[in-house]
Amino acid sequence: MNVSKKLYAYYLIWPALLIYSIFFVLPALAGLYYSFTDWRLDRDTIKFIGWDNFERIFTDRTLLLAIKNTAIFAVVTVIGKNLLGIALAVGLNMRLKTRNLLRAVFYSPSILSVLVISIVFTPMLRSDGTINRIFEAVGLSSLSQAWLTNPAIVIWTVAAVSIWQHTGFQMAIYLAGLQSISKEYYEAATIDGAGSWRSFRSITLPLLLPAININLMLTLIGGLKVFSEVFVLTGGGPGNASQVVGTIILRSFGEGSWGLGTAVNTLLFAAVTIIAIPLLIFMRRKEVSE
Amino acid sequence: MSTTSKKIATGLLAGIMTLSLAACGSGNTGKNNAQATNGGGGADNGGSGGKKVTIELALSKSSQDSAFVAQDVLDEFEQKTNIKVNLQLLPAEQTATVLQTKLAVDEVPDLIQYNLASATTDLNLERNFEILDNEPWVSRLLNKDVLSAYDHIYSFHYSQDTGMQGVVYNKDIFKDLGLEIPKNYEEFLAVCEKIKASGITPVFMPFKDNWAANIWPAAAFADWAAKNDPTLFDDINAGRKKWSDIPEFATFLDQQYEVYKKGYTNTDILSDSYDMAVGKFLNKETAMMFMGDWLIVNVAEKDPNVHLGLFAIPTSEDANLGASPLGGQLFIPKKAKHMAEAKQFLEFLASKEVAQKMVDSQGSVSNFSDVTTPKLPDYKQEIVDQYITPKKTTLTTDAYMIVDRSELYRLLQDEFAGGLDAKGVLKAWDEKFSQLMKDKGVEGF
Repeated sequence: MNVSKKLYAYYLIWPALLIYSIFFVLPALAGLYYSFTDWRLDRDTIKFIGWDNFERIFTDRTLLLAIKNTAIFAVVTVIGKNLLGIALAVGLNMRLKTRNLLRAVFYSPSILSVLVISIVFTPMLRSDGTINRIFEAVGLSSLSQAWLTNPAIVIWTVAAVSIWQHTGFQMAIYLAGLQSISKEYYEAATIDGAGSWRSFRSITLPLLLPAININLMLTLIGGLKVFSEVFVLTGGGPGNASQVVGTIILRSFGEGSWGLGTAVNTLLFAAVTIIAIPLLIFMRRKEVSE
Repeated sequence: MSTTSKKIATGLLAGIMTLSLAACGSGNTGKNNAQATNGGGGADNGGSGGKKVTIELALSKSSQDSAFVAQDVLDEFEQKTNIKVNLQLLPAEQTATVLQTKLAVDEVPDLIQYNLASATTDLNLERNFEILDNEPWVSRLLNKDVLSAYDHIYSFHYSQDTGMQGVVYNKDIFKDLGLEIPKNYEEFLAVCEKIKASGITPVFMPFKDNWAANIWPAAAFADWAAKNDPTLFDDINAGRKKWSDIPEFATFLDQQYEVYKKGYTNTDILSDSYDMAVGKFLNKETAMMFMGDWLIVNVAEKDPNVHLGLFAIPTSEDANLGASPLGGQLFIPKKAKHMAEAKQFLEFLASKEVAQKMVDSQGSVSNFSDVTTPKLPDYKQEIVDQYITPKKTTLTTDAYMIVDRSELYRLLQDEFAGGLDAKGVLKAWDEKFSQLMKDKGVEGF
């Protein structure tokens, strides 16, 4: 094949590259620039102010609380969604008569809008809501809580709702991973006398690593970028108790501090990149091939 | 895949594609309609040369019952001028953000319903909105102040009422229990105690909506300042004094918190929202609420037999009633695409006939010299007699703040969530206030 023919293939990339540059690269670069400015609604001029916005992020206690909450949400949901996702996938990979129905049941919350979830859960999580009434009915009234208005637990509650909603999606990816594992490995392990746990640990988990990697990435990035769950369930409250980086960005724009808002957004982008890429590389190295 | 399955899949795919194309088509049509230029017909006295024009009016979804956007008013305007008013209903909690973004990217509606005090802090009034000093209806205004900022008229309204803020109370419950309107905080607690003993919740606090927690302090702070330190807000806005410098402010916040701690309120104050309030009063589940007189209008619309009134927040002896600078005025952005038509809409609303119809239906105090103020509803007449005529009203704190107040509302909510005490609220607000003023470029910060 001559050089011009080889290059011809690359010409086809140009339209996509152009659109990608216009709609992603340019806005991202503009955002990076504006994060170093005092861009505000009420100012006619935009001034370059260096690292001021970033300094402010790390000295403002609400912003620091938001960063802490985002970290808690990300860690809790990554662990919850993946552990439960694997457990559900393994359970529903067995020969149950109702497994298709159950798969659909567990998957269905993930296709609902967060707004719908909020409408359903908000009354359930009130002090006099369904959850607390169930606790009272089974004699566990000491566990009753103001789930969405107690500052100490509100972010954990939001994380739990998110786990409830999205675990089915993670389960679907794990199911696909499980179904790609050859049954011969399990047959050989059974002949060698391996029990269920040993088979799971030595066969399922290693061969499921590609699916685990995908899910870890998805849940981690989703967790760090959390916005809608917090916004619709608590609005970042009570007070600022459940603010996360996403809601702080909205708040900054609402206050007219657009430079600060873009700085927080830039920081979020950097944090996701710095955390996600090394993790992805590390996990890829652990993968084994069949 | 079997042949049948393939046929089903192909059919589905074709269906989806058809729907997608139809959706794209309808989207364009909608946009064209919204942007305005097609069509013809209609009346011939419009300002758009016989061509049908659609102007966009953006307002918060919570204001959709505004008299300006009553369907019969919009229909009459369209019939007379061939100008259609298209409403953009913005989510209540995002109205400021959406409008700020629209103004920033020049995707401006032709009219905005907002309130004057917040427009000065949230929307950069001077830069973004048209000065209306030379509009024909201005010469008929009785009170220009309620529509003015920076010595110019920036907004439109047919009424000169400002929202009155205090304690909305159920007169029937008070009468049944033989209660008098409390004149100070101790009397207020005694009233709460008696109402509680009767099995009714004395006060409904819907503090899921954090702005509702500001009604008490907004009136109390302003009343104290007016009586004890008239230049206080000027000093605060110049950085010479801080909010936490006034010990009475912490006392007022403590008082509101104490009403909750003593069990005189609904249990789940941080889960209950303002939209539940009308139901609470209709069902006589609650006797009082710290709110504006708009709540009384909302309840009366549902049941005129529920008799509500308003008294001043009883933080101290002989307190004044809070007069809110807020309200729902109309503004025209400088970059409105249909400026002439938007002004024509204001002229239509200001016409003697239309304005009279609106003040009559709303029981408002007219702001036009040739429009007669109707007989006021009982609650409003009482406010006029007891507070406005004897000059016992004070503009609430919001009137003096030139920065976004939402962080203060969050801090107030935080007090009830147990995160901060009253002094902590004021200290945290001092920090945020200082930062916001600095961002705004105000000298002294």
